[in-house]
Amino acid sequence: MPTLTQSHWSPYAGGIVIGLLQIPAFLLVDTALGASSSFVTAGAWIASMFDAGAADNAYFAKYMASGKYVWQSALVIGIALGAFLSARMGGVVRPAIATVWRELTGVRSAPARFAMAFSGGFVLLLGARIAGGCTSGHGVSGMAQLAVGSTIAVVAMFAGGILTAAAMRRN
Amino acid sequence: MSFLWLAILGLMMGAVFGIALEKSRMLEPGVLIRQFQFKNFTMLKMFMTAVATGLVVLAALTGLGLAELHPKAAIMGSTIIGGLLLGAGIVVAGACPGTALAQIGAGYRDAWGIVAGGIAGAMFYGYNKGWIDSLVKFGDQGKLTLMDLTGLPFWPMALGLAALILAALYALEKVRPWQDDMAGLPGIEDDRATGESGAGKVVAAG
Repeated sequence: MPTLTQSHWSPYAGGIVIGLLQIPAFLLVDTALGASSSFVTAGAWIASMFDAGAADNAYFAKYMASGKYVWQSALVIGIALGAFLSARMGGVVRPAIATVWRELTGVRSAPARFAMAFSGGFVLLLGARIAGGCTSGHGVSGMAQLAVGSTIAVVAMFAGGILTAAAMRRN
Repeated sequence: MSFLWLAILGLMMGAVFGIALEKSRMLEPGVLIRQFQFKNFTMLKMFMTAVATGLVVLAALTGLGLAELHPKAAIMGSTIIGGLLLGAGIVVAGACPGTALAQIGAGYRDAWGIVAGGIAGAMFYGYNKGWIDSLVKFGDQGKLTLMDLTGLPFWPMALGLAALILAALYALEKVRPWQDDMAGLPGIEDDRATGESGAGKVVAAG
């Protein structure tokens, strides 16, 4: 039985837990699990602080008004809290920057890795918003609903990931 | 439902999500990148398990009339172009949108950069949606599902695909035990590196 004090679980245990989260998502919120819309909600609120016209942007307005996006924004904050709790209770201490970046890309300095993280995050969410979902919404949820578009999105994600990872070192 | 209740529910569900992502190591950037190099299969195993579980759950919920499906539209251009960008972003960021938040909680400081970049990317799309969509939104098939293509109901296909996924995972696990891909991740002993089991924790290869 997986417990919080274990340092790790099998990928199967974690996958089952995430799959079971579809039950409250569909029954209580009438939506599927997703994560990337919350970045639009955050971006829309930030934009509205500097740009009085942001709330008139139909795309931003949609993500600021609905309860579904309140739920999803709370969900991603909960993800950070849950991961914090899990790492603490499991006794797992991580370096500030994962060692894999030095091993696979040669990036050593923190500023260089932050610049890489920012640009990666930018492309990540630009892609997710163009596609209309991310690895959660299209991937975990879309494929579980046998949606054709989501299955194509997952194939494209793997293609993009494989091509980009091929440019990195292998070890 | 009130916004407050939705926020509390979201926090609770998110905490469970975050625990699963941390414990099963989906949040390690090396796990994601090496999956795309076919050197670590943790991500594929966890992802397909979540899909299979979701298929069974949704077969039951829709079969009992408790829930309706919410499939996303199949727009070929934006789905493929967006998916390719998303995949490239996962490798450069070392995270997908949900796991970036899990990385912050788990202690990776650079994940703040991923989230900041992600918010900037979402804002960029919001301000430039008009011309971006005019370039990528072609081949709109509507909310197309496998049910539309085959004429069969959801539940037998969902259970059938779940069984296929389970069989594939069983075969993959035979060839590639999951423990092999965990060795050497933060807080997990790497027996291969020390040459003997139980010989202290080696923190490496996040």
